[in-house]
Amino acid sequence: MSTPVLTETTGGYAVDVIERSDTSMVLSMGPQHPSTHGVLQIITEIEGEIVTKASPEIGYLHTGIEKSAENLFWSQASTVIERMDYLSPLTNALCYYLAVEKLLGIDNQIPLRAQRIRVLLSELSRIASHCVWLGTGGIDLGALTGFFYCFDLRERILDLFEMSGGARMHPNYIRVGGVGQDLPDGFLPKLDGLIAMYEPRMRDVRRLLQKNPILQDRMIDVGIISCEDAVAWSLTGPVLRATGIAYDVRKAMPYSGYERYEFDLPVRTEGDAYARFLVRLDEMDEAMRIIRQVRKELDEPGPWQIVDTKFAPPPKETIALSMEALIHHFKLVSESFRVPPGDVYQAVEGPRGELGYYVVSNGDNRPWRVRTRPPSLYNLQVLKKIAIGELIADMVVMIGSLDPVFGEVDR
Amino acid sequence: MPSSQTPPVGATALDPTAIRPEIADARIVRVTPAELRATLEALKADGFAMLLDIGGVDYPGRAPRFDVVYHLLNLPVHVASAAEIGTPARTRVLCGVTEDAASVPSVTDLWPSADWAEREIFDLYGIRFEGHPDLRRIQMPNDWEGYPLRKDYPLRGPARERTPRPSFALKSNVGAGTPASGRTAAALQKQIAQARAQDGVGKDTAP
Repeated sequence: MSTPVLTETTGGYAVDVIERSDTSMVLSMGPQHPSTHGVLQIITEIEGEIVTKASPEIGYLHTGIEKSAENLFWSQASTVIERMDYLSPLTNALCYYLAVEKLLGIDNQIPLRAQRIRVLLSELSRIASHCVWLGTGGIDLGALTGFFYCFDLRERILDLFEMSGGARMHPNYIRVGGVGQDLPDGFLPKLDGLIAMYEPRMRDVRRLLQKNPILQDRMIDVGIISCEDAVAWSLTGPVLRATGIAYDVRKAMPYSGYERYEFDLPVRTEGDAYARFLVRLDEMDEAMRIIRQVRKELDEPGPWQIVDTKFAPPPKETIALSMEALIHHFKLVSESFRVPPGDVYQAVEGPRGELGYYVVSNGDNRPWRVRTRPPSLYNLQVLKKIAIGELIADMVVMIGSLDPVFGEVDR
Repeated sequence: MPSSQTPPVGATALDPTAIRPEIADARIVRVTPAELRATLEALKADGFAMLLDIGGVDYPGRAPRFDVVYHLLNLPVHVASAAEIGTPARTRVLCGVTEDAASVPSVTDLWPSADWAEREIFDLYGIRFEGHPDLRRIQMPNDWEGYPLRKDYPLRGPARERTPRPSFALKSNVGAGTPASGRTAAALQKQIAQARAQDGVGKDTAP
């Protein structure tokens, strides 16, 4: 086995195949491959059907979101930030605004109803995101039917996002100090409908996929990750919990009042693709358990955004009547608010793991630096380690079980 | 590099990390590149087994210009319940890097996950990680010039001349004489009317 040569002349990433004398072969998978769930290229070296080396190449979806965010107002930056993890945009916005609220020193003044809505939407995002993973992950293995069951469920959740924020994918509903507006009329009955249909639907999905012997054959003992590897490769979220380490930001460092709700952390110790599959499935049920608890509290009305016109726009009906309100509204729209200098790291538990924002302010009305800790980037990186010794056909299973989102990996 | 839009560069000596408000998000350690390895090794031995992230920040006008920020998490390296983990401690190591040297020792041997994070900082800030096994661009194309996340890097590419719009017979030739093709607005309208008359369409409205 010769060492791959990485030179300037091979474009930096192409492995030199001409001088190769052994029996191995280089196979480039992607970036336009349906099972890579986005634009991922993997340069694999295979010996027969066994992978001996895998080098994932990323950056095909780099859009400079962090640079864009530095040049937008604090309140505008969430527009581009929501486009990172496009399967759970609300979680990104929530994490960013939690960091901004800490810098502003208003993190303990967020109204209770706003916190409940934030928890509700985070958990709905988790289910919607896992629906995409489950549906497309099944397709990778030839199980087409599950996809339709999952996407129908996701569509109903996106309907709720559309009702609350006005858009299905990037609602920009979470704002500094709360949420953009109260939940509209008709939202709660629709949520009740979703809660009622969730259990029978997931029973069907589980019957279709979880007990499916073909799926089990493909996933059990594939892509095994040990505890040591998981920590060394900075894995978080379901991938980490499938190795037996029950670390979840919602339990370890609760935010938005997660400590008030009862839920368990699904943990497995096998560390293979099937364990990750089961952890995510159980996580969806736990998310629904939290949603049911939040639903009971949402009957109680209350303010949904902080009452401080320095950060939150005054109520629309007061603008025509009050000079102060008009001035505040104009200032917020034209030059946003200013944030005291400082830096802060805030983490939330996204569907893929610890999503972190390291936000730096220099006292201006734009963020100085918004650094994301993208869970997908680190979860995907472990492919270099776990793919070795596996079948090339199982590469698809392993990518699916790591659940990367390339908006977030490449930013 | 010429730009159609200059980025807002606040070239001040201001260091936001030095005047931050009291926020209990992590223990903060500030080191020089020479002390970095020893500090991180000691922290790792102390139980900070997970390197959560490495980020870069650019403060033009401050000395040293860059910060490389290491976020560490104290996690057990064995099967552990949520109760056992509790609230794990966090440490943030800020390493100041000067523009001239622009290099720090790599930690890929301590944490394999540092690989892509260090490559990204090299790619976007131009800070070299000494000892990294494969230091090349990761997000930008291999032949890219410049380091996009530096504050003096322009937001947009060089300004280009706008392509003139092509002229259209109906729009630009009204009252401008007959062009070589003979297709003036009046001629076209006449053609349309003739065609309509032949088809018998709109007979009563045709002039």
